[in-house]
Amino acid sequence: MSLASLGGNLLGIVPLGDIVFYLNPLHLFLFVAILIFTFLIAISHTETQVEAEFGTLGDKKQSVGLKEFKARRFLSVICGIATAGAMITGDLYNFTLFMSLVGILNIGIISSVKQIGVLDSVFQYGLIAMMCSLPLFGGAAIVLGACGTVSLLAIQSMKPTAMMIFGAIMLFIGVCGESGIAPFFASKAEMFRTPGSPFLLIVHLSSLFIIIRAIEIVLIICT
Amino acid sequence: MYNLMADILINVCIAFLAGSLLLGLHRKIMARVQSRPGPPIIQYLLHSLKFFFKESSFPKTVSKPFYLAIVVILCGIWVTAVIVTNVVYGSLLLIFGIYAVHKIVEHNSGSSSGSPYGKLSCVRAVYSAASELPLFGGSILVLYLTVHTMDIGQIISYQAAHGPLIFAAPLAALMFFVTIITKAPYSPFGITLGKDIISGFETEHFGFLRGFIMISESMCWYVLLWLFLTLFFGPLSIIGYVIGMIVITCITGLISATTPMLNPNHSVMSQMTITLIGVVGSIALMII
Repeated sequence: MSLASLGGNLLGIVPLGDIVFYLNPLHLFLFVAILIFTFLIAISHTETQVEAEFGTLGDKKQSVGLKEFKARRFLSVICGIATAGAMITGDLYNFTLFMSLVGILNIGIISSVKQIGVLDSVFQYGLIAMMCSLPLFGGAAIVLGACGTVSLLAIQSMKPTAMMIFGAIMLFIGVCGESGIAPFFASKAEMFRTPGSPFLLIVHLSSLFIIIRAIEIVLIICT
Repeated sequence: MYNLMADILINVCIAFLAGSLLLGLHRKIMARVQSRPGPPIIQYLLHSLKFFFKESSFPKTVSKPFYLAIVVILCGIWVTAVIVTNVVYGSLLLIFGIYAVHKIVEHNSGSSSGSPYGKLSCVRAVYSAASELPLFGGSILVLYLTVHTMDIGQIISYQAAHGPLIFAAPLAALMFFVTIITKAPYSPFGITLGKDIISGFETEHFGFLRGFIMISESMCWYVLLWLFLTLFFGPLSIIGYVIGMIVITCITGLISATTPMLNPNHSVMSQMTITLIGVVGSIALMII
């Protein structure tokens, strides 16, 4: 299936060795959006969560400490850059590498907090992410074995075979687990109860954008 | 001579004005069904403009400048959506990306305020993203499997040759229609704006920030209705679009007026069930 029928006409290619970046309107939108959000994260303070205290008229305030803030902001910016890379790469293997990096960073961003419930949740997510690295890289390897290349520009012109479709499905399962979306997200939503809105944004945004890219890649391979 | 900038400006103005009037009509229909007089249809438009002249205040607890930028981004993405749909007839996958950013804004405009109501709305936005995005995505996936393209222009051409897609992909139309219901005010699926959490992610947004949110909501409504009519009823005249948008707004107004808001679990499970039936049913219909 041609790339143009999915994300619009190709705007350009950046041939950097085996890392072939290519841009169409879909990638451009996702790439620019993620960079804007990453910039916002880099310059934003965190909010202070205010909750009513049980049994009194007082409020309980929760905020992010300076040390925790610095660690989470650094990881969030790197996560934004990794997601931006995943948006424009035309190389299937690089996409899986970006995806696994995003998964690790998402765990890191949340594991810096000190709330036990949230840490439990991120532990569960970490287990799922680790397990799903097998279908993620395995899927990409199967596609490589089936068609002899991991270049999406080359794969788009090939007729899909059963093994390519199987590889694409494995890859998609891997992406779902690494990014912690449904049906693997049950523990992930609990991670969002902690303060640090800008950092939570990148955890959620990176998952959604990578899933959109993964859908495009699966359709390129399977149709 | 074709002027792209003028085309964009005109379409964005039309989207804002038509979307505002349709949401005003939605509110009027709800009121009449519930035996109330309701505000004038133009009230939503007047409210949207009024908020830009009201005093703006920001809670001390907010995450700056994140809290301010996020609603401006919401407006920006729906302006982009108007351009992609009405001006360049671009990719449906791009609209899906825009819808994903909309969910992100729901998530983070709530959490960035520091308000407990915003925080609850934020968590609900994460849950509802897991059901709303597959619903919308399932609809465009079925369309893609039917027409073999995500390009809106090519889908219009396909329908000009083969007839409206509502007959070829009825379950995709159902999924898209449920997406529209989800974005309707006081929708049974509108858990992020539930009145049990005051106004959800909008609770702490006042003045011009609320103005941006209202403008975005009106453009969102217009774009979703335009897409539904274009994708499933083929190339329509302006009169066709006007009638279609009014009819859909009346139906969604009736649904919103007569249906209680579902709790988050029921809302998510209902949407997931509809998605499952829609996608599996459509593929079964294609095989048969």
